Amino acid sequence: MTVTSFGFLGLLAAGVAIYYCAPKKIQWIVLLGLSMVFYYYAAEPFTIIFLIISTATAYITTNLMPCASERIRKHISGIAVMGILINAVLWFALKGSSFWLAGARALQRLIPDLNIPVEGTLVSALGMGYYTAQVVGYILDCYRGVSIPQRNPIKLFLFVCFFPQLTVGPISKYSQLQSLYEGHRFSYSNLCFGSQRILWGFFKKLVISDRVGIIISAIWADAGTYTGFWPWCAVLLYPLQIYTDFSGCMDIVLGAAELFDIKLPENFHNPFTSRSVQEFWQRWHITLGIWAKDYVYYPVLKSKVLVSLGRWTKKHFGKRGAKLIPWAVGMGILWFVMGFWHGSMRHILGLSAWYWIILVLGELFAPVLKKLIQFLKVNTECYSWKLFQRIRTYVIFAFGTVFFAAPGFHAALERYKILYTSLKNLNPWIFFDGSILNLGVSWMDVNLVIIGTYLLVKVAYLRVHYGYARIWIQKQILPFRWLLWIVLFLLVLIYGLYGAGYDASQFIYQGF
Amino acid sequence: MTREEVFERLNKVFREVFDDEDIVVGEETTAKDIEDWDSFEHINLVVAVEDEFSFKIPMGKVVTMKNVGEMADIILELGK
Repeated sequence: MTVTSFGFLGLLAAGVAIYYCAPKKIQWIVLLGLSMVFYYYAAEPFTIIFLIISTATAYITTNLMPCASERIRKHISGIAVMGILINAVLWFALKGSSFWLAGARALQRLIPDLNIPVEGTLVSALGMGYYTAQVVGYILDCYRGVSIPQRNPIKLFLFVCFFPQLTVGPISKYSQLQSLYEGHRFSYSNLCFGSQRILWGFFKKLVISDRVGIIISAIWADAGTYTGFWPWCAVLLYPLQIYTDFSGCMDIVLGAAELFDIKLPENFHNPFTSRSVQEFWQRWHITLGIWAKDYVYYPVLKSKVLVSLGRWTKKHFGKRGAKLIPWAVGMGILWFVMGFWHGSMRHILGLSAWYWIILVLGELFAPVLKKLIQFLKVNTECYSWKLFQRIRTYVIFAFGTVFFAAPGFHAALERYKILYTSLKNLNPWIFFDGSILNLGVSWMDVNLVIIGTYLLVKVAYLRVHYGYARIWIQKQILPFRWLLWIVLFLLVLIYGLYGAGYDASQFIYQGF
Repeated sequence: MTREEVFERLNKVFREVFDDEDIVVGEETTAKDIEDWDSFEHINLVVAVEDEFSFKIPMGKVVTMKNVGEMADIILELGK
């Protein structure tokens, strides 16, 4: 069961009815029951054991903290480390299998007589990367005194397995999910807002993302035929595909939670309006970024080693060096962890290294660029300059995603090579002669992608000015509102790309 | 140590960290009010405050403080 399946929608409808009929005190138990039903149909049921282990370690370690006697109190950091280690090792054993399988392959090459299994992947729990990050954050929050440990293990289990966020996050903090345990009264506006957000998520995923995906897949599937501008189109379109896929799924997840009056943290905030790469990563996969900042970046920067490094660089390289060098080291570790979380070497070497290098180069040359802009008297507040910065950020992001989209590290390098060689064979007429129709799409599909992209821009604009597009729509007259939602519903129903059994294809970010 | 004294010393720390002699911080000053106050400078600032007041600020306080007023509360609490 995916979150775009009819089964999921049925579960939501039944869940909402039961939830609001149930007494407030036991509504959280209804959520737990729904989560179990979802898990049973969405994953290998026995893998629930991994969620139980994570919950148990978090429960035991955090509840040892406040009641620890003086003798144990000095070992509190050890207790926290133990809880984190158990979860990290479990994640690494199952989700990080690509790392140790690579190690096993290297060992096999060294000692050919060994017959160790070197292929395949292990069955892991659904959303393991997401809930493990939540559990680690929870243990650290309790250790830091930011959160009070949950005394009821079953309630803590709900924090770990709350069903909408098991597929692709967001990575919530324990303090953000207290409303899981509070009773809620039925509200028509929550029902409307939640359903509208789910519908918008369906539109993004089924009408835009999956169509763009067809074009990109067709280009890379026959890279020998589709040369010239084609591979460039594939690379520059990929951000649109992954954004509508990932953020579309987030809309469904956040909308589903909203039906139960539970507000999950946002994962996207108009990322393509970013004027710099640094700003982009504060608007894209926000909860992973905050998690990495709070639990990795800050402790690293505040460690004795980095503080000493800062003092040393200040002495030898002045204030600028004192900022640049420890910052680059801290960022390097942050990006390494983010790449590692994605679970493969290509994410670390390609994706993380790429953005880290871009960020460091940007910071290194920032004073030179600033002087150049002043010298050329560029008006940095005019629309065209901001547009240039946004396009630049988009292109840099698009190039990095080659590592994400390609099936492996070498395949990604091969794609970069294709991009370079294709420049020798430019074919601008492909944009006008209907060649795109050979890629498995019709004019209707192309038009739908264009209309969808226009709507994305419009919604982004409304979000800047009204907080949410839904708030703007709510202010309109009734016939207009209904017309808008009915048209969107029909567009999803008629033009949504459904896979086998009328279920949508998998989400790109579901694998983590 | 009075609250006024804390703010006086905080002004000194902020001017040193952000290299700007005109900075004057108040109860409601946040990262949005000072251009260079990003996550990196936040930790630099915390380390500089620790050096100025000669005590360590726990990480739990570092990640949750919302404005300079809260920073002053923490300093007064830890400096007791």
